[in-house]
Amino acid sequence: MKKLFSIVTIFSLILFSVSCSKDEVTPGPGTLTLHFDNVVGDADLELNTTNTPYTNSKGEVYKITTLQYYVSSITLKKSDGTVFTDEVKPDGSTGYYLIDEADMESQDVVLKNVPAGDYTEATFTIGVDANQVNQGAQTGPLDPAKKMFWSWNSGYIFMKVEGVSPVATGMMGTAFQYHVGGYKEDASNASLVNNIKTITLSFGDTAPVKAGHEPEVHLLYDINKFFNGNGGEISFTSNTMRHSPKSCVDVAGNIPAAFAVDHVHAN
Amino acid sequence: MGVNVHIDSRYFLFYMKAIVLLVCAAMVLSCSSESVSPERNPYEFQTPENFPEALYTFQNNPVTKEGFELGRALFYDPLLSRDSSIACANCHQQAVGFSDPIHTLSIGVNDREGIRNAPAVQNMAFQRHFFWDGGVKHLDFVPINAITSEKEMDEKVAQVVMKLNRSKMYPEKFVKAFGDGEPTSQTMLYALSQFMNMMASSNSRYDKYVRQEGEVLTADELQGLTLFNANCKSCHATDLFSDGSFRNNGLDASFDKDEGRAHITELAEDLGKFKVPSLRNADLTAPYMHDGRFRTLKEVLDHYAETVKPSETLDPELKKGPSLGIQMTEDEKAKIIAFIKTLTDKTFIQDKRFSNPFLK
Repeated sequence: MKKLFSIVTIFSLILFSVSCSKDEVTPGPGTLTLHFDNVVGDADLELNTTNTPYTNSKGEVYKITTLQYYVSSITLKKSDGTVFTDEVKPDGSTGYYLIDEADMESQDVVLKNVPAGDYTEATFTIGVDANQVNQGAQTGPLDPAKKMFWSWNSGYIFMKVEGVSPVATGMMGTAFQYHVGGYKEDASNASLVNNIKTITLSFGDTAPVKAGHEPEVHLLYDINKFFNGNGGEISFTSNTMRHSPKSCVDVAGNIPAAFAVDHVHAN
Repeated sequence: MGVNVHIDSRYFLFYMKAIVLLVCAAMVLSCSSESVSPERNPYEFQTPENFPEALYTFQNNPVTKEGFELGRALFYDPLLSRDSSIACANCHQQAVGFSDPIHTLSIGVNDREGIRNAPAVQNMAFQRHFFWDGGVKHLDFVPINAITSEKEMDEKVAQVVMKLNRSKMYPEKFVKAFGDGEPTSQTMLYALSQFMNMMASSNSRYDKYVRQEGEVLTADELQGLTLFNANCKSCHATDLFSDGSFRNNGLDASFDKDEGRAHITELAEDLGKFKVPSLRNADLTAPYMHDGRFRTLKEVLDHYAETVKPSETLDPELKKGPSLGIQMTEDEKAKIIAFIKTLTDKTFIQDKRFSNPFLK
């Protein structure tokens, strides 16, 4: 019995050490996905519905026809405090992601070469900041051909929200358009609008990047909160065609609180 | 050359002290004499001696002969417009310093009238803001404005890229300029920037005078220069002849028609302000002001002397005298104009590198 015990002990010690060393040998970088799920309250957002199924906080019904936004400058924080920074290239070929509700694939931001570890927090920017615009012509998701570029006031539309509400009476009838953009170009003039928003979300759980695990963090973006939050409560009855930085200060202020972590798949 | 002479005499002193240093000096000299090639590369961007530092991001998009020639073709190609009727060169003609000599307000596709006069395309590498209201902050994005404006080329960027991909001529030119791959909006814009960056106007009679290259100005021109420095240089500053700022020069008292810089900044303090234009080649770039309201330089100076209108945002420089504007006699105006004419750069407007490549 004693002999058996010692054999089991030695065997399990060997097993343990093997598994430990195995862990140490293969802690290579892996993949972590941020999934951006656009919703309206508890419902999944559906584009171009035949009716107007959604209701804002003012009780005005609406539907959404376009929802696109840029996610950039992503960093992930481990439980030990170390930070992974997603590479941003001057030509826009990496580090910028255009989330498009009409394109399923775009809603998965797949971060590669993430060092192994337990991740607990993500920070990202909604928009394209001055540093990037000042680098000149861009490619990839920032290609101006993607119709997210303002020619008259050079820079990108950070978030494009378009839809229809029967109470809207703008230049295009019942259609509404909120094109959020505008970044501070001149530090000496504080009056210039900067609608860049940087958001930090705790996972409330750990997303383990390790051998055999490619975790996915499921994020929600609630479009109803875009229309109501700390920035202001929006009505579709006035000022529904917004295409300048200043006109979007209130909705831009609503953006940060409209993002939340729903759950983490350890996978 | 001046630098070489300087090094020479400095090392001569060292030579008096130590032979080792002489050897070093000889090495330095041989190196520097090698770098001064007899003919400079005509496709290498160089900052003229009397200019401030260039602001363009050359680290992302250095000029090459192939990229420049591609940009030149695009500049002269009406393919960029919706109905292939208008090229950049329509409103930016070389003979008049790449400005529009005919139209007060420049004309786009289907004869649509724009809201402003086409500015001269010159010395683009040195500018922080582009267009009269400064809405564009990087040269690469300047063509997008002209391509997509419904009053100009009225075309979509994606559509232009598609036309370039389908063309017989362009895909090969893009590969030569930027390596393997299809034409993209980025490489199209890079090519146009390479062409425009090289369009430096820096060889007027004034430049040769100020760089002491043997040019002599007349007595009237020199008096004009003195008057210019006293009355105009606060805004038309540096040898670019613009400080790049936005100012209200008293053309109007209300700005409903065109709010200018305020359109971009959305600030009341910027109402009626427009970018201070360079005066290089000004004798060629009539009509003047953002809306092309003045036909001659004399009319421009008459405005500053007599018709400056008061408003909240009128530039403080125009409120310094006993009356609004700049006090000038007729004789002084004539001399200032004589000086401005020394800024005409014949080398620039005749430079074959910038001419229409489709007319050979």
